[in-house]
Amino acid sequence: MMKKTNRLSRGLLAVVLLVIAVGVRAQSAADLRINEVLVENQSNYIDDFGQHSPWIEIYNKAYNSVNIGGLYLTNDLENPTMYQIPKGDPLTLIAPQNYLVFWADGHSSRGIRHLNFDLRESKLVALFDANGKTLIDVVELNHAQRVDTTYGRLSDGSTEWGFLDKSTPAANNNTKPVVTAGDSFGKMDPTGVGMAVIAMSVVFAALAMLYAFFKNVARLYAIRWSEIFKRRKVEEQKITTEDELTGEVSAAIAFALHMYRNQLHDHENTILTIKKVAKTYSPWSSKIYGVMNRIR
Amino acid sequence: MEHTSFIGFIVDHLGQFFSYTAFANMTVGHLVMIAVGLIFIYLAIAKEYEPMLLVPIGFGILVGNIAFYPGLKVGIYESGSVLNYLYFGVLQGVYPPLIFLGIGAMTDFSALISNPKLILIGAAAQFGIFGAYATALALGFSPAEAGAIGIIGGADGPTAIFISSKLAPDLMGAIAISAYSYMALVPVIQPPIMKLLTNKKERVIRMKPPRAVSKTEKIIFPIAGMLLTCFIVPTGLPLLGMLFFGNLLKESGVTKRLADTAKGPLIDIVTILIGLTVGASTQATTFLTAKSVLIFGLGAASFVIATTSGVLFVKFLNIFLKEGNKINPLIGNSGVSAVPDSARVSQVVGLEYDKTNHLLMHAMGPNVAGVIGSAVAAGIMLGFLF
Repeated sequence: MMKKTNRLSRGLLAVVLLVIAVGVRAQSAADLRINEVLVENQSNYIDDFGQHSPWIEIYNKAYNSVNIGGLYLTNDLENPTMYQIPKGDPLTLIAPQNYLVFWADGHSSRGIRHLNFDLRESKLVALFDANGKTLIDVVELNHAQRVDTTYGRLSDGSTEWGFLDKSTPAANNNTKPVVTAGDSFGKMDPTGVGMAVIAMSVVFAALAMLYAFFKNVARLYAIRWSEIFKRRKVEEQKITTEDELTGEVSAAIAFALHMYRNQLHDHENTILTIKKVAKTYSPWSSKIYGVMNRIR
Repeated sequence: MEHTSFIGFIVDHLGQFFSYTAFANMTVGHLVMIAVGLIFIYLAIAKEYEPMLLVPIGFGILVGNIAFYPGLKVGIYESGSVLNYLYFGVLQGVYPPLIFLGIGAMTDFSALISNPKLILIGAAAQFGIFGAYATALALGFSPAEAGAIGIIGGADGPTAIFISSKLAPDLMGAIAISAYSYMALVPVIQPPIMKLLTNKKERVIRMKPPRAVSKTEKIIFPIAGMLLTCFIVPTGLPLLGMLFFGNLLKESGVTKRLADTAKGPLIDIVTILIGLTVGASTQATTFLTAKSVLIFGLGAASFVIATTSGVLFVKFLNIFLKEGNKINPLIGNSGVSAVPDSARVSQVVGLEYDKTNHLLMHAMGPNVAGVIGSAVAAGIMLGFLF
């Protein structure tokens, strides 16, 4: 029993650890993306030293904050740990669906957002996990060489890349007016009939599935599985007893059953006897001698 | 302000104090809303119309319509005020799922499990939502606003608040008040429609008594229900997940304390907070608009459509059912999820025509299915319009 419990708890622990490991990766560094880069910066975004330096925008596509501290940025896949982003700085915590811009100017002494390599001399830029081995994202810069024009994902976090109409450091790459889901739905279905048809079909489908499930569960439940299994067991037992039991064994079993029925009192008799309890007078319980009596 | 004398100082400050009072800031709108709040309280206490909701909402309307001098962190819309903190639970949709948890812990789905075809009535009654949605679109509301207004037809206050907090936060006060008002008025709105759409023969249909439901089935229901519905509409997860979770707490039999808390103190606390803050959100300055009046009209229409479609669907279903298995169309109204009011209406109207025909247990089936149906419909709205 103990062994079984231990095995079970070990199994559970393994599952929990696996889930945690998967969860941690799923909602942390793995959600970071290199979102936009500018290699030839002549009159674009100015860094905190007043310089026009190449820059890289990292985007957190998760719905939770992600700390980029401890991760690596590099321009050489053979040397993934080229620049480690310092840990513990409040700047490295990227809010949900937000951005952080790094200056790839080769002047890492200028602050944690200045990298120790220059994008102008790089063929690619890559982001590696804190272990220095797991590649999170990589962008090849062969085509990203237009002066003051950024190369980025056409919408934040998407897989499509191209030269952007406007450079948008620390901002949404898609600068076109945003049409809400409701508005675009309303355009296609101005009367609401489409919504009624789709939604009612889905509501009916969902509840019809419940109906089908419980209709059949009731049928399954109506079958007396326990009796079927019992019957099978009895049949199996009959076969084995006919084949194997000798007269002596049968006698021993019969005797044991006799003893069990007569001595174990499986069912106790249920006669309830009520005896009258005589309550004799005692001065100790008398109210006359109570300590709270007032003297009048 | 320079004071030449002490008396001048006193008079000036008294005047300043008066400018802070509600008397100085009061408008006709505030008085109208206070009157509405008093009517709610009267209906709740004297007529016992949904008192658990109308008393907090009614009092909330009074609280929200005390005209104050802005900037003192008093009002519900002023960030940093206590009421604003409490209102956070409404704005971010925190309270409705907690209420659904309590509803799940209170609800007995036996009637539904014993006669699963009643689930479909709960689906049919959701037509009210989409009828109101289409009408709202025609009246010029944006699709997101129309979706939030349409959900009033689901007759489910928490769902209406949840959806409007996401789709149309500006209209939430009007939508919530409308939803709760019509839920309270279910005994007034539904009977005439039910009588109009049924004949005498249909009204006295006797339904088979529901079979006994085993404990195992009751335990399977919330698990299977959550998986089946949420796989189809994951956007309904906050409501459906909590509803079925609450029900599992109740039916598992091993989490009695948790179930008791969910259906007792927890739902009571959340009901107080949601009622008071929703009521307080109806400040005359933001609430008394033409849109609010339209929303009230659309709410009534959605309830009528929902009731009609529920009753007509039962009549349609009866075409395919054998004699003896037929469903009394008077339980069609209970597909709207005002639990248990609409089921009670079925019972009362049914007894009017046959003193021995008790429909309450049968009506509870579509009634609780309506809760699931409206949560699914809400999920679809969110999926398309958010």
